[in-house]
Amino acid sequence: MDIKELLREVLLKDKTFIHLPFGDGKYDIYESVVVMWIIMAIILVVLLILTRDFKVHNISKRQAAIESFVVWIRKIIGGSLGEKGERYTDYIVSVLLFLGAANMIGLLGFIPPTMDINVTAALALMSITLVEVAAIREKGPVGWLKGFAKPMAIVLPMNIMELAIRPLSLCMRLFGNIIGATVIMELIKMVLPVVLPVPFCLYFDIFDGLIQAYVFVFLTSLYINEAVE
Amino acid sequence: MDLTALGAAIAVFTGIGAGIGIGVATAKATDAVARQPEANGKIMTLLITGCALAEATAIYGFIVAIMILFT
Repeated sequence: MDIKELLREVLLKDKTFIHLPFGDGKYDIYESVVVMWIIMAIILVVLLILTRDFKVHNISKRQAAIESFVVWIRKIIGGSLGEKGERYTDYIVSVLLFLGAANMIGLLGFIPPTMDINVTAALALMSITLVEVAAIREKGPVGWLKGFAKPMAIVLPMNIMELAIRPLSLCMRLFGNIIGATVIMELIKMVLPVVLPVPFCLYFDIFDGLIQAYVFVFLTSLYINEAVE
Repeated sequence: MDLTALGAAIAVFTGIGAGIGIGVATAKATDAVARQPEANGKIMTLLITGCALAEATAIYGFIVAIMILFT
């Protein structure tokens, strides 16, 4: 297969999964949405099983492991959120869990939903909305507007531009990493489809996916930390 | 004459910046670990986050190249 054909197949294929009879294709359900439903179901079932019959005394090994995991991840995320932004920890951890599962779903044979630019754009918009809402809640509307002209009046256009640049870079970073990994994997499979893809698959699906999920939430929490200072 | 492929190739030159950035970060991290081996874990996390951030510029170039090729 030609490389250009392959790229075209990866990038421009029809993403519609369920075609709805009304709305002229406007309300079609994409494949990424269906995969996200599957991820939601998997996360929900796993969490329900893991958190079943917790006790106060005589805790089981499972409960002890989960409690230490929760405390650990809260400490990491809460540390980068700072003291004032600590109330947003739960949202950030949820996004981290979702993104981690979404980037690793390729191991089960699904197409990662983060390969669809609409998904990453939606996540980035949620992040920037949360950042601005956190700033407004902390400083009030007037203080938020004044915050654009800090530390000097001359940085005002830069700060306004950042409103658009931050979600764009968050969105593009995640999308580009996942799609780049997919393209490289397809190229490797073209060279030798048997043994060679295994280590690359481990790297791209597990390591790179988790790193990118962590970077996404790390940057979001940095922005929140900066916004509530 | 069709120059789209050339444009995409120029866009991918952003990879130079990411390569230099990651190289410098790794060199400094190696220095730091050699000086203080007990801070290994902390340096490693910082290095990986920094590398992922530096990598972003290369990814932007890649996306721009794809956009040039396919739109």
